[in-house]
Amino acid sequence: MKHLSRLAFSDRKVFMLLVLTSVLIGATIIGQSYFFVAIVDRIFLGEERFQDILPLLAGLLAVLAGRTLFTWMNGRTGITLASKAKRYYRQSIIEKYARNPVQASLQGQSGRKVSVLMDSVDEIDGYFSSYIPQMIQTMIIPLMILIVVFTQHIYSGLIMVITAPFIPLFMAIIGVMTKKKSEEQMEKLNTFSGKFLDTLQGLTTLKLFGRSKQQKEEIESSSLGFRDATMEVLKVAFVSSLMLEFISMLSIGLIALEIAIRLVVYESVSFFTAFFILILAPEFYLTLKDFGSAFHTGRGASGAANLMTEELEKEEEHIQWGDEKLEAEHPPALELDQVSFSYDKGFALEGLTATIKPYDQVAIVGKSGAGKSTLLHLLAGLAKPSSGVVALHNRSLFDYAEREWFSRVSYISQHPYLFSGTIAENIAIGGRGDHSKEEIQEAAERAGIAELIASLEKGYDTPVGEAGRGLSGGEKQRLALARTFLKKPSVILFDEPTTGLDLKTERILQASMEELAKTATIITVAHRLHTIKKADQILLLDRGHLIGIGTHEELLETVKEYRDMVTVQQGGDSA
Amino acid sequence: MKELREVIRLVVLEKRDIVLSIVFGFLAGMSAVGLFGASGYLISRAALIPPLYALTVLIAFLKLFGFARALGRYAERYFSHRATFTILSNLRLAFYKKIEPHAPRVFQKYRSGDLLSRIVGDVESLQNFFLRVYYPPVVLVIIFLGTIVFTSIFSISVALVLLLGLIVTGLMIPAWYTVRQRKLTPRVRHARGVVSTEAAEWLYGFRDLKIYQQLEEKKETLQQSSDDYIREDERNSRQMLSSHSWNTFATLLVSWVVTGLGAFLVAEGDLNGLFLAMLVMISLTVFENAAPMAVLPSHLDDSKQASERLFSIVEEDNRGSDTYKIDGELAPSFQLTNVSYRFPNEEREALTGVNVTIPSGSKTAIVGASGSGKSTLLQLFMKFQLPSEGEFMLNGMDITDISEESIWENSNVVLQENHYFYGTIRENLQLAGQDLTDEEMNLVLEEVGLDFDLDQPVFEKGENLSGGERQRLSIARAFLKGKRVWLLDEPTSSVDALTERRIFNSLYERASQDTVVLISHRLSGLEKMDQIIVMAEGKVVEAGSYDNLMQKQGYFYEMKQIEKNIFST
Repeated sequence: MKHLSRLAFSDRKVFMLLVLTSVLIGATIIGQSYFFVAIVDRIFLGEERFQDILPLLAGLLAVLAGRTLFTWMNGRTGITLASKAKRYYRQSIIEKYARNPVQASLQGQSGRKVSVLMDSVDEIDGYFSSYIPQMIQTMIIPLMILIVVFTQHIYSGLIMVITAPFIPLFMAIIGVMTKKKSEEQMEKLNTFSGKFLDTLQGLTTLKLFGRSKQQKEEIESSSLGFRDATMEVLKVAFVSSLMLEFISMLSIGLIALEIAIRLVVYESVSFFTAFFILILAPEFYLTLKDFGSAFHTGRGASGAANLMTEELEKEEEHIQWGDEKLEAEHPPALELDQVSFSYDKGFALEGLTATIKPYDQVAIVGKSGAGKSTLLHLLAGLAKPSSGVVALHNRSLFDYAEREWFSRVSYISQHPYLFSGTIAENIAIGGRGDHSKEEIQEAAERAGIAELIASLEKGYDTPVGEAGRGLSGGEKQRLALARTFLKKPSVILFDEPTTGLDLKTERILQASMEELAKTATIITVAHRLHTIKKADQILLLDRGHLIGIGTHEELLETVKEYRDMVTVQQGGDSA
Repeated sequence: MKELREVIRLVVLEKRDIVLSIVFGFLAGMSAVGLFGASGYLISRAALIPPLYALTVLIAFLKLFGFARALGRYAERYFSHRATFTILSNLRLAFYKKIEPHAPRVFQKYRSGDLLSRIVGDVESLQNFFLRVYYPPVVLVIIFLGTIVFTSIFSISVALVLLLGLIVTGLMIPAWYTVRQRKLTPRVRHARGVVSTEAAEWLYGFRDLKIYQQLEEKKETLQQSSDDYIREDERNSRQMLSSHSWNTFATLLVSWVVTGLGAFLVAEGDLNGLFLAMLVMISLTVFENAAPMAVLPSHLDDSKQASERLFSIVEEDNRGSDTYKIDGELAPSFQLTNVSYRFPNEEREALTGVNVTIPSGSKTAIVGASGSGKSTLLQLFMKFQLPSEGEFMLNGMDITDISEESIWENSNVVLQENHYFYGTIRENLQLAGQDLTDEEMNLVLEEVGLDFDLDQPVFEKGENLSGGERQRLSIARAFLKGKRVWLLDEPTSSVDALTERRIFNSLYERASQDTVVLISHRLSGLEKMDQIIVMAEGKVVEAGSYDNLMQKQGYFYEMKQIEKNIFST
């Protein structure tokens, strides 16, 4: 919440504008009351002619127009402020996410992040567009009215001063008294409100078991339960506004009574003053009541604000790239020197040392959770080692310019991501953006996906991704290959799929890797025996430690764990 | 308004609460008018110094109006909200009744997972229809009519001005903004959709974008569209503000006219000056009730959209007829001739020219890579879909003419995604039959290797169970159902190999005389099957017994080699 109010008051101009318009609204409220009263007074008691009050009527019209105009301006300022705040938060959060090393972004929760970026940001709107302007108005307008009333009639002013604090006081008392009860009800509400979705989601199962009809009663009873629980919560809110209404009503009545008696019995106030105060009093309490409802809007934003603050204050480890150029001709020599990687849960990798020569084919092998993917991310420069160095030509990877490195490396994951756009665009994302149609088609050809694309009505222009049609796992894999063929990288990082793909893709994958190996260093998180057997070097990981390094034959001879793994696999038709 | 016909029909069911809301709304509104009118009169009266008792009566009235207004407002809120939530319950029920007969089909048609939460959101948003659209205008009109009748006692022309004010603030301005809103809302919604898609893409595709050096560029696009969305949203808020402002100005203008006209009439001697203050106060107060009209356009628009979306989901779909029922005593046979299937709105066929014969009591396995059409094929067996082309015979009858309920009733199905309800293990098992004994259930749990207590709680969607436990619970349900055909879609993909073998042994024992169709994610353990159907790209590429296929050294054989080659880690 602090974050929000700091932001709200950071722009002095906007703040001053809100104050100014609030003062003007206050002034027009007072002016409006004055003119109404003056007109009635002159006509009713002064028995003046209609022509005589024409200037007053004109004045009233101007004041009314002014009140509308200033209210509008005040609201508009609030809206602008809200837009500015939303823009600020969304930008900051995007920036924050963009800076995060990929490892952090892979720790999942992409769905939650989308929701923070969309819903939480949208939810703070009310805080800026209605709470802040209303709060400023409440601090200014009642005070102005009070001053005017005091100049007119001290006792009415005193009644106002005494009664006004009861409004926030009662709000607080009711809030405290009902807090526990509302919390109880909220829990109930959550159970009931999920029921409908739960039933709809289970409808297929219910139908298969012939139970869907009976669910109607379930839905009805949970809906009615939801209603009753909601009403319990709402009743509290209604009672509190009833109390507020009573307080303001009582106070207005008190004021009316007081001035009427003074008017009649003591004849100590004029009709003008009495009527004037009578019109001003409701405006006084109205502003206070309005603040009550705006207060709820403001409170509603606090949850969203906390979420965003939490996200923004998360620690980050920024990767700083250098500006060294990278020699383009051959794949680089890669070296891991005592590389460790840890995150909040503990060590993922500890003290890894290895050398990868140009054109090497390296297989990373190990049980799940051994740190294979983490190693691949470190090699890709997507994450920074906690200690140790990933070196390239004997210099730290991060000495080179980011662009230099990434334009030479490809990463093929188990589930390549399709972006919404056409197939051609999805292939071209691999390259440098200046590829001819022919080059894209050639890449598709080599990745064995050209035939499929040709069979589609729109061919290369077929939309895929979010909005378009889906591709099967094997087809996505081949599309990722096409990206790689187009990019012609000198280092390829490949996370081999753990399950069997269709035969066609399996064959293409194998052939393509052999072809790509001619021009690149390939480092594979390997799940296939043939990949492992033909590797120049195998890195065997176990719970974050490198426990074996060498060729298949070497490891078979020297490392027991490796031998066990392969034996289990080959007799592996156990399932 | 035709989009809302169904909703209105459901709203008017709650007659009692609606009438009470309107009555108390009227009472509250009228009391406010009375309160302020009376205070205006009181003050004028006081100025002329009448006897004190007259004032006392008036002040008593004042208090009465004050309490009536506060209590009326409370009761109005109470009843209108209660009506709203009862209506919400009716809406849910009506929608459920409507979607229930179409259930699995509709869901398959919209393959996106968020369909259901969208439905729930739409139903929820319709609760505003009664509260913000339906009854406020009714209350408004009655209050105004009451006020106008009262005012006309003193001055016909002032009453006419109020009537005019009602037409402008209650009808013309909202109507004008309703029209404008219609243009604006889709734009905001569209802009939001764009941002949400781009944000999802940016976050889910983060790694690929980073490697392909597109992260910065896409970030800028995302920020750009976020700005667009904020701008559209700002326009929308400004529009609401201007609707609100014009409405306020119109009401203030009416009070101004009433004041001027009243002053003129008094000056001319056509109106007793005593009533002038009262009329001014009335005109200032009565328009307080017009305030809800400012938010009406956007709620009306929302309700229309929601209602349209909801009731278009269940458009008539082709589900054949219910002419025949299948005999539960017999193990069914299936015969597919040249069956093809294409999902609505998709270009490629999911299944092409499938020929499969499954004799009664036989055991069939379907294998193939992900996306090869295995699950789609199984959906045809359950009549979740009808073939787009070709002939699908069940027990020698065209499946089109067989009642889907009778198919479901007589099959033991385990899908990839099964549903579990909030409750206990017992309740979740009893789906298979209300009169199952604890003994039977415990026995089956043991068979699938689950060491569960029947009273153990199951959270929503089985969240407190592991994937393997959920699958085994589903298999237990199928075991308990004990019908003559088994349709199983990768039922043990998250179960360890040892338990899997145990479960299958149980299954073969229980199903020795039954027809079994099993989609298998593994190629091992299929030796006992009568036939294995191998699928690729929506076609059947091979079929035969295990030995057959292995001897042939074709597609299945090669898949088998690859599987052997893969390290399961």
